[in-house]
Order: sequence, then C-alpha cells, then structure tokens
Amino acid sequence: MPLRARGPSGPIDPTSPSGLVEHYFRHEYGRLVSVLVRRVGLPHLEAVEDAVQGALLAALATWLVTGVPRDPGAWLFRVAHNHLAGALRKDRGHQRILAGAADQPPDGGEEPTSPAFDGEVRDELLRMLFVCCDERIPQESRLVLALKTLCGFSIGEIAFRLFTSEANVYKRLARARDRLREDDVNTQTPSLEALQVRLPSVHAVIYLLFNEGYLSTNAAHAIRAELCEEAIRLATLLAAHPVGSVPSTFALLALMHLHAARLASRQDGTGGLLLLEEQDRSLWNAEHLRQGATWLERAAHGDVFGRFHAEAGIAAEHCFAESFAETRWNAIADLYAMLERIDPSPIHTLNRAVALAEAQGPQAGLAALDGVVPPAWLDGHYLWDAVLADLHHRVGNTSTAKRHRDQALAAAPSVAVRQLLERRLTRRVG
Amino acid sequence: MSKHKYLVLFRNQPSVGQTAPSPEQMQQMFAAYKTWMEKFKDDILDMGDKLKSDGRVVSASGVADGPFVEAKEVVGGYMIVAADTYDGAVAVVRACPAVDAPGALLEIRELAGRKM
Repeated sequence: MPLRARGPSGPIDPTSPSGLVEHYFRHEYGRLVSVLVRRVGLPHLEAVEDAVQGALLAALATWLVTGVPRDPGAWLFRVAHNHLAGALRKDRGHQRILAGAADQPPDGGEEPTSPAFDGEVRDELLRMLFVCCDERIPQESRLVLALKTLCGFSIGEIAFRLFTSEANVYKRLARARDRLREDDVNTQTPSLEALQVRLPSVHAVIYLLFNEGYLSTNAAHAIRAELCEEAIRLATLLAAHPVGSVPSTFALLALMHLHAARLASRQDGTGGLLLLEEQDRSLWNAEHLRQGATWLERAAHGDVFGRFHAEAGIAAEHCFAESFAETRWNAIADLYAMLERIDPSPIHTLNRAVALAEAQGPQAGLAALDGVVPPAWLDGHYLWDAVLADLHHRVGNTSTAKRHRDQALAAAPSVAVRQLLERRLTRRVG
Repeated sequence: MSKHKYLVLFRNQPSVGQTAPSPEQMQQMFAAYKTWMEKFKDDILDMGDKLKSDGRVVSASGVADGPFVEAKEVVGGYMIVAADTYDGAVAVVRACPAVDAPGALLEIRELAGRKM
C-alpha cells in the first residue's frame, strides 16, 4: 500500500509492525472528537468522547482479525458516528439534533482522503483548539481540555505528564466542561473566524503545553518530548490555516523547534541535567534547527515584534553559536531587554543580568539587578538565588554569595536541579 | 505427529480494574497482538471472536437472559489453536498479550475428536 498523506491524522505506515503510524489511535481520537463535536454541538462533548473511545476499542478487536482496513480513518469515523447516533437516540431530547446531524453523510463517503475531507478535518481540529482556549475557561483547565480532546491523552496520562493527581486533572476538566455546557447549548460551535480573537489564548496554551514538556525536570526524556511534539503539531496545524497564519504563530514555532533541538542534549546518560556549556552541540537535532531557522525567517515579517519573536531570537542565538564561548551575549542581553519591554517580568531582568555578566562581566550583571525587588513568586525561587550566588562570588562578595548559594540549594525543586546547581555553583565558587 | 486442536476461552473477572484503556494503550495492545499473531501464525487456527456481554440461557424450564448473572467470571471470547501437546498450546497462550489483562484467565480445552 502506497504512503498517502492523510492530513493531520498522518499517513499509514506499512513498515510499522502494526501497520499504523506512531500515536495513530491518539491522534485519530483528537480528529474524530473534533469532527463529531462540530456535527452534534459542544454540549455533547462527553457523548462524543465515549463514542470515539468505543470506536477505537472496536477497531482494536476487529482489525486484529480482519487486518487494518484500506482506509482506517473512514472506518473509525463510521463506527464512532454510529456509536454516537445510538447514544444520542437513547436520549430522547436529542432527536432533533441527530436529525440535523444526519443531513451529512455519516460515513464521509468512500474517498475520505479527498482534499475536501482533509480540509474539513484541519478546520475542525483547529476549531476545537480554539474552543479549548475560551478565555472564560481557567487557563489550567484549557491545557487539560486540549490534552484530553485534541491529543487523546487519558486522565491518567495527563496527570502523569503534568505531575499532578488524577483527581486534580478530573477537577480541571470538569470545570472546563461545565463552562462549555453553560454556553452554546443548542447552538453550533462558533465559526473559526469568530474564534480568531482567541489567537493569543491559543498561543498561550500551546506555549504552556510545550513548556510543561520542556521545563519539567523529573520525568523521562521520551515523555517530556511527547508534550513538546504535541505542541509543535498543534502550532504547525495553526500556521497552515489562514486563521493562525501570522508572524506570531511562526515565531512560536521557531521558538519551540529551536528549544526542541536541544532537548536531548540537556540530559546526561543517567538522566542528570547538563549545563548549556557542557552540552554536546553535535547532539542538537539538525531537523529541528533547520525548521526553527525556516520559521524564524517567516516570522520576520509584519510590524509586530512580540514576545515569541524575542524568545525565538534568544533561542536562535544559542542554537547557532559555534560554541558557548562564541555566544553573542550582548545580542542576547538586548533581546532580553526587548522582552522586558513587551512583557515586563523580573525573570527577564534576571536572564538579561546573566547575559550581561557573560558579555561584560559580573559587575554589569549585578548592576542590571540593582534595585530589582523580586515578587513573592521569585523571591526564594532557586533561579533568583543561584544567579545572585554566582554573580556575587565572581565579584568577590563571598559571604553574600554563600548565603544565596545555600538558599538556592535548599529551594531546588528536584534532585537533578540540585545536582546541576551544586556543580555550577561549586565550580564557579569553589 | 498429528496436531491437536485446542479451544481457548478468554475469561475475565469484570470487577478487577476494568478502566478503559487510553488510545495510546490501545495502540500498544494492537501492536502487541499483531506481533504475537505474526509469531504464532501457524499455530493459531482461528482467531475466534469476542463474545458480546448479553446472551440467553436455555434449560428445560425455559429461556432466560444470560449469561448466568451469578458467575464471577465471564467468558469474553474464544479462539482455536493447534499444537502437539497441551504444553505446546500453553506456550502459545502464555505469550498472548491477553494474559496480561487485569483479571484475565485463559482456559485451554482440547477438542476431543478433531485431530488434524
């Protein structure tokens, strides 16, 4: 069977042992939920999810005996649609909705690989992404809703990846669903154009999703990489559609690719974290670097220079420096200064101080932090104390350095981070 | 040496950890089964089928809905394998991913009169 592009659900890979591409079931889940929710309306989200789950279970049982059908996506759609129709029929109040949904052929025709079908799927996935990013849903609930409905993670898998309890994930999800039920009852999901105002919120959720994968310090590499891949997948979808095809989306993609390029090299062979200067630059992922550079170029249009532009620029300076020593620290400090203007935050000031210290010496770093009063969330955070410990030691304030060093080590959120700090601060201080 | 046919009954205890698998777990199960079926393709005569959960129980006194509601284990499916001995059949069945399902119990019975 020849490889065929099937849009977001991906091609069927005949070389895989199962005949299905990696994450096929998970991504089909997102595709089917999006398409079916569009047909029956958001208030039926849970019935839709149950129907899709049922269709995947049916596929598991049937495909083993019959083999994977020629068009598995169409097969799943037909079965999920039938499950859903059965469930809604039982619910007498929804007869009318079902009648409306029946206007469209339930099986999607025999040619679901046609451009029209692919286009529809792309639109529906994006629409669902925008629905998940409704500003009235609490931000942490948006992330969970997106992971559940679009990425097809179970509650247990989400809890595992976000380092929280299943009860907590369930609570966040319930809040999002309550919100979706309150509104939009008996109305169709809004058009993509109407949802376009939520683009910043969509960017924020994708960025959050990426960071959950990128920044978490206590899970296996493969698991963290998965969240990063999902964020890139959704952003790529967004960038390919008129509704999200704007420079800020491209900058976000550049930023994520450039960070993802370095993901594998951030850990040593035993799972410990490595400092940037210790990382083997030859391990950086060439494909991600290439993609990052391409998106960065596309982002450099229009008259808006946003936070993603600044962050992507910083990531690019690191990625395309020949070595740690040859990093253009002044350029990085300038980019952090821009970031501070766009999105004032003491964490950006702190990063600018680090860059300035590398470019012009520790005194310049301390000068940048002079008079900065850390807000409660940063005061006592290990990063704040670690930077101060390093800078104070380098200018010779030994006792102040030691005090910050002790505080940083005590506040380290994980063993891996504490070991990293010990190495960094001992080497510099010691 | 002629092979014997063995009926394999998939029993499970519905009360034991029956949370639905996630899509990713389903795909892993699918891949595991495919690998197993490929490995034992000459030994699995009939992949059989899953059995739906409802049924009828017929006795002299009449017909009732079944299966027996008081049964602790429910037969959820069957398949037929070929092997020289029970040990051979056990080897095929032990490697089956279904064995690892929570509460799963696979019963092997030789078909009496049907040598191959």
